[in-house]
Amino acid sequence: MWASKLRNAHAGVSVAEEMTAKSHDAQNKAVDELLTRIVQGSDEVRTEAWLSAGEIAAPAVKPLAALMTDKELEVGRAAKRGLWKIVRRAGRPGAGQEKKAVTAELTLLLGQEQPIAVRREVLWMLSEIGGDESVAPIAALMSNTELREHARMTLERIPGAKSLAALKTAMKNAPKDFKPNLAQSLRQRGVKVRGVGCVKLVPTKKTNVKPAASKQGTSAGWLNVRTREVREA
Amino acid sequence: MKKPKQYSRRRFLAGAGAAISIPYLVPSGVLAMASRSGANDRLTLGMIGVGGMGKGHLRNMIKFREAGVVNIAAVCDVDEKRLAAAVELAGPGVEPYRDYRYILARRDIDAVLIATPDHWHAVQCVHACEAGKHVFVEKPASVTIEEGKAMVAAARRYKRVVQVGSQSRSARPAHDACTYIRNGMLGKVRKVTCWHRLNPTGGTDPDSAPPPELDWDMWLGPLRWRPYNSAYCHSVFRWIMESGGGQIRDRGAHVFSLIRWCMDADYQSPVSVEARGTATTKGRWDCPPEMEVVYTFSNPDWQVIWAQPGERHSNYPDKNKDFGLVFWGDSDRLIVDRDGTGYEAAEKARNFKVPGGGVEVYRMDKHKDYNMNHKEDWFQAIKTGKKPCMDIEAGHGAATMCILGNLSYLLGRKLHWDAKKQQVIGDEQANRMLGRPQRHPYHL
Repeated sequence: MWASKLRNAHAGVSVAEEMTAKSHDAQNKAVDELLTRIVQGSDEVRTEAWLSAGEIAAPAVKPLAALMTDKELEVGRAAKRGLWKIVRRAGRPGAGQEKKAVTAELTLLLGQEQPIAVRREVLWMLSEIGGDESVAPIAALMSNTELREHARMTLERIPGAKSLAALKTAMKNAPKDFKPNLAQSLRQRGVKVRGVGCVKLVPTKKTNVKPAASKQGTSAGWLNVRTREVREA
Repeated sequence: MKKPKQYSRRRFLAGAGAAISIPYLVPSGVLAMASRSGANDRLTLGMIGVGGMGKGHLRNMIKFREAGVVNIAAVCDVDEKRLAAAVELAGPGVEPYRDYRYILARRDIDAVLIATPDHWHAVQCVHACEAGKHVFVEKPASVTIEEGKAMVAAARRYKRVVQVGSQSRSARPAHDACTYIRNGMLGKVRKVTCWHRLNPTGGTDPDSAPPPELDWDMWLGPLRWRPYNSAYCHSVFRWIMESGGGQIRDRGAHVFSLIRWCMDADYQSPVSVEARGTATTKGRWDCPPEMEVVYTFSNPDWQVIWAQPGERHSNYPDKNKDFGLVFWGDSDRLIVDRDGTGYEAAEKARNFKVPGGGVEVYRMDKHKDYNMNHKEDWFQAIKTGKKPCMDIEAGHGAATMCILGNLSYLLGRKLHWDAKKQQVIGDEQANRMLGRPQRHPYHL
């Protein structure tokens, strides 16, 4: 983990040596600096760091993702915000190559070696800038019960025939309990879906609260009774 | 009261957007008919969301009930404590629900008041229209452009009256300002500047189990699933961009409503929006503490500048934590505190008498309390079929300004807006963000 490596630097382990051994180019230095400032900086320094992450772009994607689940909440949060900065900048008009590079790095983070929390966030990032090249890895997550709903929504948002085809294929192969979800996405994309009901208006959740007692007082629920007792006390 | 026009089962299903297996959908009564007038020609209401603002609405409705105007048939909340408190307040004869869809399934309910968190507004409003209910929905009307479009379409398709809770349009100080401006007393208004207190920072608690009284899944509703966090729930959801959108979407919805009313610009949209802001340095809350958004309108040409904190021009210097705006005309300026509620308008606007042939501006003026007036206006619209003073289309226009301001901030770039297509020009990412996929089954 980047965080532990950088913290160990205080104890004499030179992370900088390990990093520079792999690469000496300016981009990697920028990434090193970004990570150091996020992990070791004050709240203000950390904030300045993640705000600047967009300019580093694709090379910072994987290292920031590795920090997202850091035990220090502020470090993880800053890493996530830095990643979003990269995504929002890469999607700007005229930044086709940068977007392609960032998308490729994000797509690599969908593998099962990544924590669920990271993959979930990455899916939503891809929903903003992902294209045809992201569709197959996203569609592959339809078999993952923890991620399939996020993957479905991501495919719904990515325009084009390929994402639509992936949703249709998923619909064919999905277990019965997930078909209504996929039907929702297909309908959003303008496809008529037969044989799968829309359950959006089906009430399912019941309350334990009872109506207020009438003057005869027969139906006060426990919450009402408790509230009344508190007031009387 | 005039009976609302009924709609066919086929039409309802078309509105639901799909070929649907009938037994799986909704109770047949909802499919078969629209709402009916309640006993003694009172409007029969269901209240969806009864904490915070919802509790205030319930108090208003109890007054209307006492006056013989409405029946309160149901209250709904996903928090059992809040629901129990509402039941207690409303008294006997009011059925409690956790799931708003039970209310929509009731034939006897004519209309619903929606005061849930912002991310629920559109889904519940559209569903209510589909079920034949008239709607009073809290501001901001929606959190995405696509939601707002769906709300307008549902209101028109099912011929329901949808009033948005920007109640300053029913307040006297705002009306004074509007009348003064529309009668040209400032000359041509080319700029409106706003000042507002900052978004707060905080929300440092870790995720945890939700409290037992809260149905967290239902609270999240259309939002993507996330673990419960006390810094991401009642009231404080406002400070999370994903769910609350900060001051610009909260008070901004009121302020933009007022500006658009005064400028007679309910159907005019900005042609460009450019935002910048600072970032929070700690905690979960991510709305920018300081922010400036410049909205440029064309034909006629004018600008709105939303600013946190901005330059304060208050008539009430002791209220240093509040907000307001200034209309800058060719010949004069007018300061309006808050959103035209709470404080008197400037003396010149307050004392202004409309000259013969001048512009008379409508305002419901039956009650002392402008909150009551805003609801009275809704009732009148239901009875007469006229548009309410903050019809959903106007509400969508105000919400569009909130949404585009935040979108420009998030993307860090200027957005050029095509009002006719309701799209950002030449920015695919921005256009994808005009909608947001919704979690099953809590969707439009």
